[in-house]
Amino acid sequence: MKLLLAGVNHRTAPVQLRERLAYRAEEIPGALLEIQARGAKEALILSTCNRVELTAALDDDFRVETLIESLLSHRTGLTVDEILPHVYRFEDSAAIRHLFRVASSLDSMIVGEPQILGQLKQACTQARDSGSIGTFLDAVLTRAFNVAKRIRSETEIGQNAVSVSYAAVELAREIFGSLQKKRVLIVGAGKMSEGAARHLIRAGAAGIFITNRTAERADDLARLFKGDVIPYEQFPQRLSEVDIVITSSAAQGFVINREMIRRALDARKNQPMFLIDIAVPRNVDPSIADIEHAFLYDIDDLQRLTDQNLKTRLDVAQHAESIVSDEVARLEARLREREVAPTIVSFQEQLETIRTDVLGRYRGKLGNLTKEQEEAVEALTRGIVNKIAHAPISEMRKQAAGSAEGEFVNVMRRLFRLRDR
Amino acid sequence: MSVLWLRTAAALYSCGLLYALIYLFRKNTLLFRPALIAFGAGTVFHLVSIVELWVDSGHLPLNNFYETSSLCAFLIAVLFLVAYSQYQIAVFSICIFPLVFFMTVIGATEFPVEKWSAGARDKWLLVHIASVMIGYAALFFAAVAAVYYLLQERQLKRKNVMPAASRLPPLGTIDRIISQTMNTGFVFITIGTVSGVIWAFIENGTKWISDPEIGFFLFTWAFYLAMIFLRVSAGWRGRRIAWLAVSVLGCSLITWVTHVTLRSFWSQ
Repeated sequence: MKLLLAGVNHRTAPVQLRERLAYRAEEIPGALLEIQARGAKEALILSTCNRVELTAALDDDFRVETLIESLLSHRTGLTVDEILPHVYRFEDSAAIRHLFRVASSLDSMIVGEPQILGQLKQACTQARDSGSIGTFLDAVLTRAFNVAKRIRSETEIGQNAVSVSYAAVELAREIFGSLQKKRVLIVGAGKMSEGAARHLIRAGAAGIFITNRTAERADDLARLFKGDVIPYEQFPQRLSEVDIVITSSAAQGFVINREMIRRALDARKNQPMFLIDIAVPRNVDPSIADIEHAFLYDIDDLQRLTDQNLKTRLDVAQHAESIVSDEVARLEARLREREVAPTIVSFQEQLETIRTDVLGRYRGKLGNLTKEQEEAVEALTRGIVNKIAHAPISEMRKQAAGSAEGEFVNVMRRLFRLRDR
Repeated sequence: MSVLWLRTAAALYSCGLLYALIYLFRKNTLLFRPALIAFGAGTVFHLVSIVELWVDSGHLPLNNFYETSSLCAFLIAVLFLVAYSQYQIAVFSICIFPLVFFMTVIGATEFPVEKWSAGARDKWLLVHIASVMIGYAALFFAAVAAVYYLLQERQLKRKNVMPAASRLPPLGTIDRIISQTMNTGFVFITIGTVSGVIWAFIENGTKWISDPEIGFFLFTWAFYLAMIFLRVSAGWRGRRIAWLAVSVLGCSLITWVTHVTLRSFWSQ
């Protein structure tokens, strides 16, 4: 089984491109089916605001280019040549390593942020529900989740775990000084905005307002943070009441435009407003950054800031990287062991057939046996077979784990005339 | 008699000035009503004074600068009261109250009063100079802070936040510093201006108004008043307030230079 992975992330592609490639949740099942239709045995799509990645497990010649075409297939107006410079591809152990690094947040925009693991788990559930995850990807992903857990407990990666929202709080402090009495509006009640709200409340923000297209989700979040819900149609009129706006809605197109911010700033006598757009595609018109007293940061800006500030975290990350290398080797060994498993099983079956055949032929000559004698004959023949089988089986396992070559296994197959099961 | 009514009006208008100054520091509108009542009473006395002067002279009192200033102040006061009764917009009072007070004070200096003793004169002068100096120092501070605001704003706009050690204070903090120093400066410069006008009036009699250094001084004060008003009512901050603060500081510098050079020019 081969593993292929292709995608774009915050490092290789600007937000303008990522937002065009990103999948909406409802598009994913169809896209998974399509990748399988192109020849993949198993498939996974991970689409977050920082990355869009396709992973495929396959037997035959499935080219990585096919995967890239799949990446584009649901988007018009982009050609392969346009995105190719932004796409990374990995195969087999490199792909496993990449998945491990993504799961344990080593590849995140903000190293150590905890949200990515949940997003990967969600992607996994989604793929499982669409029936595109088989035993191979299942083994890889299960291991990836365990690696993430191990890294979190063995390193300090999550200790000063700053998420995007934490970086946003730091910036808010640069603008407002104290966050006491500052009011926050959250547009789009997603996981990201939940994190942001938690950080801001901890930093002392006085009031949280939440607006969301579906009211129930806003109600949930409002209950959680003792905030107030603003009906979605009304929030533009009430922008002037808030100092900080966080947008993370799944809306296509700009939810907040220049005119809204101009009006809000007039109404609040030019008191600064801080807009944090963590949504992909972006929710806030980027040209708002030119308006005096409006400070707009999108997800890429936050990344650059955290890159500057998190040099120390990278040391911790190195420790984590060594754990990843270790785990990749272990999983690969185990996967190769699994490759020989069918051979081992048919070898054992072959020997068992021989044993029962021969025993059946000579049983009559032994005459009447007591129950104890009967059992002794069974144990005797089984013992001989197991003794003979032991060395070849453990050698097969060892050879498989050690190298990717299957020579020894082939020799065994020929020696014992084993057939594929 | 009319000058007595006018001085009473000026005294009542001073309540308005006081309210405006207090408002700059604690945005408390509780004092607005008493201030408005005092201002209204002042307008009544002002009217009495003008009518009396009119009856005495037989024509509208517009003979000289003092009378024009007084009448103009009266009209502004009436307009404000009418506008307020219509729209209840209190924020204009921050600008109108001090302005009317000053113009009325100028109007009230038409007739000289007796000279004072040397000791009282020196103390008065000390109050004038000390408060003007404190006012300028605060204004200078505000102008420097305004430039810092611009720098920090630019950092945030360019999205390069510096490492913690070389960071400027948060924008909000700088903004508060600007407000506080600017308001403090305004209070002291207002005290300095009032005391200066009264000093010049007692010292030089009715001649004081033609003194160019006082002209500069009053212009600077009016400019400052305009800046404070724009900040409080229209929320000017950032680039605009920085330019204004630097300009007012420049005006103050010119005023100061004219004081020094004119004084030495006269003493020759």
